[in-house]
Amino acid sequence: MDKNDLIIRVAGEGGEGVISTGDLITQACARAGLEVYTFKTFPAEIKGGYAMYQSRASTEPLYNQGDTFDVLCAFNGQAYDLNRSRLLPGTAFVYDGPGGDFEPDVPPGVHAYPIPMTVAAKELGGIRVKNMIALGALSQLFNVPDLPLQEIITAKFAKKGPEVVEKNLTAFARGRELAAALPKTDPWKIGVPTKKSDSIVLSGNDAVGLGAIIAGLDFFAAYPITPATEIARYVARHLPKRGGTLIQAEDEIASISQVLGASFAGKKAMTATSGPGLALMGEMLGMSFMSETPSVVVNVQRGGPSTGLPTKHEQSDLFLSIFGSHGDCGRIVLSVEGVEDCIGLTVEAFNLAETYQCPVLLLSDGSLAFSTQTIPYPDPASYKLVSRKRWDGKKAYQRYAITDDFISPMADPGTPGGMHIATGLEHDQAGEPSYTAANHEAMQAKRFRKLDAVVKNFAPVEVDGEGESDLGIIAWGSTIGVVREAIARLRAEGVSVKGFYPKLMWPMPVEQYEAFGASCRKTVVAEVNFLGQLAHFIRAETNLRPESYTICGGLPFTPAMIVGKAKEMLK
Amino acid sequence: MSCAQTHLHKVELDTKEYKTDTKPFWCAGCGDHGVLTGMYRALAEVGVDPNYLVNISGIGCSSRLPYFVRSYKMHTLHGRAGPVATGVQLARPDLAILVNGGDGDGFSIGGGHMPHLARKNINMTYVLMDNRIYGLTKGQVSPTSQRQLKAYTTPYGGVEEPLDPILYMLTYGASFVAQTLATNVKMTAKLIQEGMEHKGFSFISVLSQCPTFNTIDDAKTFKSSAEELQENHDVSDIDAAMHAVNMAHKNGRIPVGLLFRVERSTLDERMADLVKQVGGGPDYDLRKIIDLARP
Repeated sequence: MDKNDLIIRVAGEGGEGVISTGDLITQACARAGLEVYTFKTFPAEIKGGYAMYQSRASTEPLYNQGDTFDVLCAFNGQAYDLNRSRLLPGTAFVYDGPGGDFEPDVPPGVHAYPIPMTVAAKELGGIRVKNMIALGALSQLFNVPDLPLQEIITAKFAKKGPEVVEKNLTAFARGRELAAALPKTDPWKIGVPTKKSDSIVLSGNDAVGLGAIIAGLDFFAAYPITPATEIARYVARHLPKRGGTLIQAEDEIASISQVLGASFAGKKAMTATSGPGLALMGEMLGMSFMSETPSVVVNVQRGGPSTGLPTKHEQSDLFLSIFGSHGDCGRIVLSVEGVEDCIGLTVEAFNLAETYQCPVLLLSDGSLAFSTQTIPYPDPASYKLVSRKRWDGKKAYQRYAITDDFISPMADPGTPGGMHIATGLEHDQAGEPSYTAANHEAMQAKRFRKLDAVVKNFAPVEVDGEGESDLGIIAWGSTIGVVREAIARLRAEGVSVKGFYPKLMWPMPVEQYEAFGASCRKTVVAEVNFLGQLAHFIRAETNLRPESYTICGGLPFTPAMIVGKAKEMLK
Repeated sequence: MSCAQTHLHKVELDTKEYKTDTKPFWCAGCGDHGVLTGMYRALAEVGVDPNYLVNISGIGCSSRLPYFVRSYKMHTLHGRAGPVATGVQLARPDLAILVNGGDGDGFSIGGGHMPHLARKNINMTYVLMDNRIYGLTKGQVSPTSQRQLKAYTTPYGGVEEPLDPILYMLTYGASFVAQTLATNVKMTAKLIQEGMEHKGFSFISVLSQCPTFNTIDDAKTFKSSAEELQENHDVSDIDAAMHAVNMAHKNGRIPVGLLFRVERSTLDERMADLVKQVGGGPDYDLRKIIDLARP
């Protein structure tokens, strides 16, 4: 029996090739035309520790990592111990044995496939090909596309020479043989796609980098931080091709400072960080707002507070992102659902920063950062790009002139007659320091009023479902994809449910929230944090009084959890 | 000079054409007046086009200086002038970048940025206006305050040793390091001019007295302690520069003059080389980048 939606989890010790095995499965499935959605966890330490890579492949579009695995491949005893509780009747279990470091006590109803990975690898001349034995076995047992796998293995090791390629392909073939010798007792097989669409496979972090380059990024200031660093890696590799510059700064304060400098100089500039870095940037983001200097900051959220859980998933920086500067400070905050958004909304972040001359924050999260997904090939010409309003050189120049839309034209250095100061001090329309009551009130109003247009001009919030319903589920970030699938399952069972998926977190589209609330008998906000941060803003800013459904265990929601919560609320 | 700036946009202007209508807000007798006068002269001497000049500061008495200089300018946050200026410079290498600020701004709150401006050789001129005290907050000890200074937060005298900014900058790898006194406008003007003409990170420390709060390091003390470098001082020899500073310390003197200058490629030049190396440019086909993500 083909299973059109199969989840394979590969687990073991970090450094054993667990991640590359998962990656090869994912790439091969995508190459064969399947949709993929992956999920990884790995330790905060470089060597050792438990690592896990889960690939979900389907002939239908995927929106999340799924409930749990159908197939577990355990490289060692620890991987088995940590996943044993999820080895439910019906699941398939591939493990290193005999000759591995553990003897599993296979739960009843589980289809066990012992593959002597370590022994076979040693016979072939080295433990390093252990993961290829496992890959071969998985390919044989579950129909992971064989030819694409061989192509990808060949390409992956080509740089190391034909001998290394041969060694890996031999190990892969050996894995297939070992698996073929076992009786297949479970029904799981990855489906065969009927059509092949033009698509790419990208992680959330790489997609943010690509989005920025499409948006016309000129300057990127980086400081390493998990789980955001891959954005800088992608940009460092590709931005020079477009003539741009990446600098690695001495800290996050320096990186946001450099962004403001480059932006003042007339360029599109950004940085990417995680919560701890964003906390350090708060003061300079205030200057971005005060001096009306466009800036784009991507915050790939991780488990907090403090150093927290650096490699784990959480959506707990909404408060910090919206209000993380001193004084009354405005900004625009966007949040992405999946990899496709990482491109589109990064472009949008630049457009908004250029239009409104303020800080724009884009929120991603730890699981999306490393999740690779199939998305349609993005046509670079299809994105609308916006550049800041620049002074036309006519009347005498005032940098902070109060205009009809409260947006003051900018002048790049080198523009004759456009000399001005960008300052964090309160200033008058010319930029001169001014601390009078009337001036401060007028200038604060100017800086905030210009943002009134954001809600009106930004794309409306997606509402999943029509008319009245018993339950409305509100979600943001990568939780949206989980809710989409949960809603589909609930509807299939006849439950009356709607979804509300905001991507513009601040300013809040209050009218749309309220219209949604009015159409639902009950509402709930599902988010991965302790305090219920979006629920808090909804209660403060709208007339909705939603229930707050939160988890903060370092992992995303599963569709089953949302389904369970919905049923409980409608009991 | 081999390490001269070749990219500057130049004009011929009188000194006064670098002045704005805003009058300096500093106290009478403040050394910063002298630094500003020296700066005007240096700008006129170099002939920098004010339209292509960006003057950037942080927070402090001296950081108000950009308001008095005709230029594009940024009055940024406490300690952050250096990294903001780095962003401007890398984004637009054709601009002349002039940064100025105090001892607290550059060597306390902003101290973490200084090594990186120097070692990366960001093409800018950094004028330190060192009054050895926090003036704007009414007289607290700074990292360059002498230990015996009784001030706002040290009513019984200080308990910390001061640091010497020029020794740090020599160690950090700045490609141009000089020191002068605010009372010596002529030398200040000449060194700022040379700093602006030098391609790379130029650091000019100006001891700029605070007559209001610093009761020890007044103009007279600075003048009597200053010692010009020997005529045969070799500005290309880092050991000679370090030695000159260390000897002056030993003798309780303040070395003044051009201590060190070396030609080294700047960060923006290396970035430009990198772009050339990958055949980069704004017309590079985005699809070639996107295609790499095909499975």
